[in-house]
Amino acid sequence: MNSNIPFLNASIAQALDYTAPILFAALGGVMSENAGVVNIALEGMMRFAAFFGVWGSFVSGNAWIGLLWGVGIGIVLGALHAYITVKWAGDQIISGVAINVMAMGMITYLLESIFKTTGYSPPVAYFGAPASKIHLTFLKGIPILGAFAELTILIWFALILVVVLHFVLYHTVLGLRIRAVGENPHAAETLGVNVFKIKWFAVIAGSVLAAFGGLALSLGTLSSFTNSMAMGKGFIGLAAMIFGKWTPFGALGAILIFACAQVLQLFMQGTATGFAKLIPLGFYLSLPYMLTIGALIGVVGKAVGPASDGVPYKKES
Amino acid sequence: MKDVLKRIVFGKREKYWWMNALVPLISILLAFIVGAIFIKITGRSPVVAYKLLFGASGLFPGPYWKSHFAEMLLSSSMYIATGLGFAIAAKGGLFNIGAEGHFIVGGIAAAYLGYAKPFAGLPKFIHLPLIIVGVMLAGGIWGAIAGYLKAKRGIHEVITTIMLNWIALYLIEAWLVIGPMGAAVETGISGTPYISLSAKLPKIFPPTRLNISIIIILAVTFLIWYLFYKTTFGYEIRTMGHTLIFGMEAPKAAGINVERRTIQTMFIAGAVAALGGAFMVLGVLFQYPPIFEGGYGFDGIAVALIGQNEPLGVILAGILIGALRTGATTVQLAHIPKTFPSIIEGFTVGFIALQALIRYWIMKFVQRKKKSIQIEMGGGAK
Repeated sequence: MNSNIPFLNASIAQALDYTAPILFAALGGVMSENAGVVNIALEGMMRFAAFFGVWGSFVSGNAWIGLLWGVGIGIVLGALHAYITVKWAGDQIISGVAINVMAMGMITYLLESIFKTTGYSPPVAYFGAPASKIHLTFLKGIPILGAFAELTILIWFALILVVVLHFVLYHTVLGLRIRAVGENPHAAETLGVNVFKIKWFAVIAGSVLAAFGGLALSLGTLSSFTNSMAMGKGFIGLAAMIFGKWTPFGALGAILIFACAQVLQLFMQGTATGFAKLIPLGFYLSLPYMLTIGALIGVVGKAVGPASDGVPYKKES
Repeated sequence: MKDVLKRIVFGKREKYWWMNALVPLISILLAFIVGAIFIKITGRSPVVAYKLLFGASGLFPGPYWKSHFAEMLLSSSMYIATGLGFAIAAKGGLFNIGAEGHFIVGGIAAAYLGYAKPFAGLPKFIHLPLIIVGVMLAGGIWGAIAGYLKAKRGIHEVITTIMLNWIALYLIEAWLVIGPMGAAVETGISGTPYISLSAKLPKIFPPTRLNISIIIILAVTFLIWYLFYKTTFGYEIRTMGHTLIFGMEAPKAAGINVERRTIQTMFIAGAVAALGGAFMVLGVLFQYPPIFEGGYGFDGIAVALIGQNEPLGVILAGILIGALRTGATTVQLAHIPKTFPSIIEGFTVGFIALQALIRYWIMKFVQRKKKSIQIEMGGGAK
């Protein structure tokens, strides 16, 4: 039994590593959609930030500078999304698609013109390097907790952020206002809440969180940018947010189910014997996605989001 | 006469009907301008880039025009298919990100029906229609799964279509293509076996490889238009689209079977998007390769949005995107990556999202003479 502990811990650590980028994206969605602005640009924002993070780290040789670059592009994209959807009451889905499509073209363009390579960037300084990880050596031998012995700072940040975001949304005035704006902006306006200001704030904050998701991919898990990033992880974050009923802990739960299924799938692939060996690879790979749908059918009821989610707000004049 | 023509072309009697056509055009124009600035900033020449891009796009006569034109229509037919897949669902108030999955499901169905034994021996005029029907059934069922889960279990279609995309991808590329449907090892082919001669789409513009896919998709688009604007069925779906996004119960109160229509809408959307995959397999690749070139599904979303979710608009937007993609291969000569058109595409969609601002500008321009400026805003793409 004892020999299984390192293996168990490694599996959990792997699941956590898988969780972080998706969690950031989902939390970004939670932030933005609670204020009534749908953000399907999570995927594109992750891609932008993943690239800019690597670029910043490449230029400066310091992962923290890369982080700042990534956050910077997150703010820019958030401001763009807010300008279109909040200032001009544009269709939120169209705006999101625009950012996603732009991310596809622009990042490939920049990748080729800056690094002179196709498909991947050179390795840069990153948070996953043994020296930059957070070492909690005393946890190492303990089952389950041992998984937390060596994690990157971004994973810790993602996990802490769930609690912080929950606190902000449900236990502060700002959170109450954000939710009020998402539920019924007109009522919020009559109570003196500046709807536009709250929406601008929530959209930009959400984009920065999504940007962290991209950074967790390129500077946390890997040390470089690959052109296939974010590989649909932003969309899975979007799905997890809806699955989690637009709450931070709900999103965390949804992603943990998904990440565990992912690790389980890898584990089953590796240890399959006898009959299980005959099951084709495709079934293992699609297992997490099937389990997600299955969980939705079996456990969770109808997903009801903020009432004014996706409806552009126009002031009555 | 002019009025009748207007009604035929636009089918609308709004006061500013021309605005709906002008907004996408201005958006495209602005996108090209911003794209030029972007090229300039990164140190390349926009003039050279656009010259190459349009020279090979097939839109304008020039050297090798014939083959560029054919290639443009070939890829346009696929973009129109996936664009319609999104637009049909959007008409019913559903947000369908599943075109990518429907596309590959259509592809594998076309490949299987194209090479499998009992079908491969049939004469062309039976075999080809059979494949098309089979493809639409396969894609439709894959789409209807998301519709069913939405209607009966209330699961958001965004989740299910995303998940179904990945399930389709893994089941096809990590099972079917390398397993039961893979070509025998001794043939040396990777992917599925090649389809029989009777399954290939007939060419219509030799010596190029242009085939009847563009005619099929134009006919399908017409049928979709007819369905939406000339039948009760389509009217009911549009009613849902207009009200369900605001969570109203009006369609239900009017006696529309919302659950059933949701499933049917997703079935049609999946069936049409799957046609795109079939065009790829039956007209270009002639097999399902180990790794399918993706992206048609996601670009379909952009096509639908540029075309304002209207059948005619989707055709025009599909041709535009097809032309940009065809011309894209040559911009590499100017050391510009061939994904450059996605930048233009992204900016176009971005400006379409900003249509309130563009409408405001146009109205300001139109009403400059009048003293009182009454801005008529609104009228989104839904």
